[in-house]
Amino acid sequence: MGEAAALHRRGFAPIVVDMQMFTRHDLTSLFRSLAARMDEEQDYLAELDGEIGDADHGVAMSVGFAAAAKALSEDEAAVPMLADGMMLAARALLNEIGATTGPLYASALMRAAQALGATTEIPLARLPEVIIAMSEGIALRGASKPGDKTMIDAWAPAAHAARAGLATDRDVAHILKDAASAAAEGAEATRAMMAVKGRAARLGPRSLGHLDPGAASAAALLDSMAQWAMVRSHPVSS
Amino acid sequence: MRVGGTVRSPLRFGEDPLLWAAWLYYEEGMTQGDIATQMGVSRASVNAYLADARARGIVSIEIDPDRFRALSIAQSLQDHFNLSDCLVIPSEGGGSPLVDRLGAAAAQLLTRTVQSGDTIAVTWGRTVLSMADSVRPGGLQDLRIVQATGGTTAKTSWTPEACATTLADALGARCIPISAPAIVSSPDMRRLLLREPVIAGQMKVLAEANRIILGISSLRPESTIHSSGFFDAVSAQDYANAAVGSIAGRLISATGEVVDGPLEARTIGIDLDSLGKIPCRIGVAGGMDKVQAILAALRGRLVNVMVTDADTARAILASEGRDIDAPKRAGKPAAALPERVRVKKFLNRSQDAVSEMIAGAVLAHDELLAPIEGAPRALKAVTGPRPGKVGLVIGGGSGHEPGFFGYVGAGLADAVAIGNVFAAPPPDPILAATLAADGGAGVLHIFGNFSGDVMNFEMAAEMAAARGIPVRSVITTDDIASAPVETRAARRGVAGNAFVFKIAGAACDRMLPLERCVELANRATQRCFTMGIALEPGTSLETRRPSFRIGPEEMEIGVGVHGERGIASDRLVGADEATDLVVDRILSEMAPAEGDRVALLVNSLGSTPMMELYIINRRLRQRLRARGVMVHRTLIGHYYTSLDMAGMSITAILLDDELASLLDHPCHSPAWHHA
Repeated sequence: MGEAAALHRRGFAPIVVDMQMFTRHDLTSLFRSLAARMDEEQDYLAELDGEIGDADHGVAMSVGFAAAAKALSEDEAAVPMLADGMMLAARALLNEIGATTGPLYASALMRAAQALGATTEIPLARLPEVIIAMSEGIALRGASKPGDKTMIDAWAPAAHAARAGLATDRDVAHILKDAASAAAEGAEATRAMMAVKGRAARLGPRSLGHLDPGAASAAALLDSMAQWAMVRSHPVSS
Repeated sequence: MRVGGTVRSPLRFGEDPLLWAAWLYYEEGMTQGDIATQMGVSRASVNAYLADARARGIVSIEIDPDRFRALSIAQSLQDHFNLSDCLVIPSEGGGSPLVDRLGAAAAQLLTRTVQSGDTIAVTWGRTVLSMADSVRPGGLQDLRIVQATGGTTAKTSWTPEACATTLADALGARCIPISAPAIVSSPDMRRLLLREPVIAGQMKVLAEANRIILGISSLRPESTIHSSGFFDAVSAQDYANAAVGSIAGRLISATGEVVDGPLEARTIGIDLDSLGKIPCRIGVAGGMDKVQAILAALRGRLVNVMVTDADTARAILASEGRDIDAPKRAGKPAAALPERVRVKKFLNRSQDAVSEMIAGAVLAHDELLAPIEGAPRALKAVTGPRPGKVGLVIGGGSGHEPGFFGYVGAGLADAVAIGNVFAAPPPDPILAATLAADGGAGVLHIFGNFSGDVMNFEMAAEMAAARGIPVRSVITTDDIASAPVETRAARRGVAGNAFVFKIAGAACDRMLPLERCVELANRATQRCFTMGIALEPGTSLETRRPSFRIGPEEMEIGVGVHGERGIASDRLVGADEATDLVVDRILSEMAPAEGDRVALLVNSLGSTPMMELYIINRRLRQRLRARGVMVHRTLIGHYYTSLDMAGMSITAILLDDELASLLDHPCHSPAWHHA
């Protein structure tokens, strides 16, 4: 038996000492990253939405996540609990944008709030649970199924990958990376789907061949989350 | 074309009028009228003889398959997926269902290619059975038809057994069933059954197949796969994450690989590896719901001969990023005028547009509209709620002006929630409007059927209910172009809102109880029919560019009110023809009786001027007069717009005495005033 393993058996394992936590400040930092990414994607999403919708998805995602990040950052001290923070983000996003995206992401974040609970921090390794909860919240509010050409076509595979990842001992950054790739593949698959929900549904077969903007923005959010987790869990020493 | 299997002139026609008529028509090229004169019968009889001659096989018509294959779309599909053959049939036609026409096309392809001594494996499904039904015997020898999977107990006509036996009968082939269920209870049971000599022998024949006919199924809720008896044992949860379709009883991923699920080890039938080794793998499937599944089968090369229809093929290619244009219309395309690249606007910062508009509206209409404290995106009527009166709250995105705040005032809505451009308002302003409109008799929410509006109004209604205010909702669905009549609940709510708001507002003003107001508003939306046509797209406020492009000789039919495309592009026509296009659709759905009364709204979608609306109205009235329909009232102008889109919509509401009286009830709002 090696020395480290022996230490581990006696309860001195470095893994306990080093267990990374996801704090209330991390929540703000995560949403800042998401908002920055949505701002970058704004024109691309507007272009996608212009093909099959009304071109407002880029602006909606950008201002919605900006509002959520702002609320989290302004009230970081006043709202120390993770669950309350998520609720704050949900409310800010909802009232900034309305539309379809508002209620869907607000429901996602409210569900994530339940998953985080009334605590000031959780182990970073639990972050994939947030993806699962968000996916559930969106599915419940939107009543969409995979294959309907909606954001669920990115969120559902991501949640599936997150669940599969949690069942292994892979580290959080890799699980989130898998979830992000699953979301990207799911979003790409929406090209071959005919919209049955939302405004694009009225286009019927004319929606084929186009990426669903909601699925595209979901894939970008998940990618941004994975990148954030990668940096957070492997800090570059300076 | 062959007549009676010979080109020799028949000796005597007189005894067989079918043969006589068919000869004159097909061989001599005479018209039906001339044949009638020559035969001394009526033209209708000639027509019946010719139909009969087809039905009895005296005349058989073959369409050269090369013509089908020559369609560029089939060629593209063949090239893109490296197929050895591809048959694409027109998506519309003949009045027979797509599955039957696909089946007939596949039967033709099979008849051409099948050879003596072939062993053909067959899956199952409606299209496969339809193909088996259409196959004609070809006089081939030593053919074997083998079931590609075990059987099912499903109560459908297109089971694996039925498909195999029908095809075997049609071809005069030997039929080899698989004498076991397709799905068995355990992997052990499968191993045991496969060791049974009878089944092992049948599976050996299956392994010798050199052709296979494959139906392709989607996993969408409406798919017949769910009644096939194949996947009864598993819940959607087990496969929804990875599978996009099903082929030969196996679930496949988007790239055509097998999805390892609980059924994989319990399935008796051909597996995908063995399937891939069969030289000729004919897929027969079509329909928009199957695009994803067919694409998966093609990507995985599970199919190397494809029979489908043009719309499906085009959608598959579009999904692969290959744009196949719709067939070009006859005639030379007109030279395009220079496009407007940047549209000039009286705007300050685009993100301030909605707030600045509201500020201006309140100042312009201060005798009618008032702000609601603490809710900058909600307004109320100065007349306000009265005790005991049902409050009417309306709302939706901006960009439809005078919708929605233009319909707030006496005899109309009590309050309005205002969203961003073309985006539903969040729950908070809707709640604020609801509180402001509450007179103690409940509040009625009316809004158009868009998923954003539905979700936000639902959330606001829950919040209001939590404060003890009963809220009922009426969702308008007057846009007849946006979904077929069978799925009316999926339709958009557009310009017809003006009539529904008016009727509901009058019902509330007459102090009717909430349930009656709901019933009348629902009746109004059910009797409201709207359709729109756009000539030019609207402009995005952010980019100041057109939100999409309409070709110089085209117009968009069935547009909504959010600057989006219509349901189809069509050739640009003049005012009367455009009006007729809309009126035809409205009348066929409304089906008014002579003497029925309607109210009309001839609405500009933004940029279309009054002059054009009056020209359209002139034709509209001509058509209604010809139908004997009376016009009770006409609204004409900007009532429900799509920013600066050029285009119009026509709304007709079929009135009864009660609705007419509510429509005549006095009202005073920015958009609608009469004493």
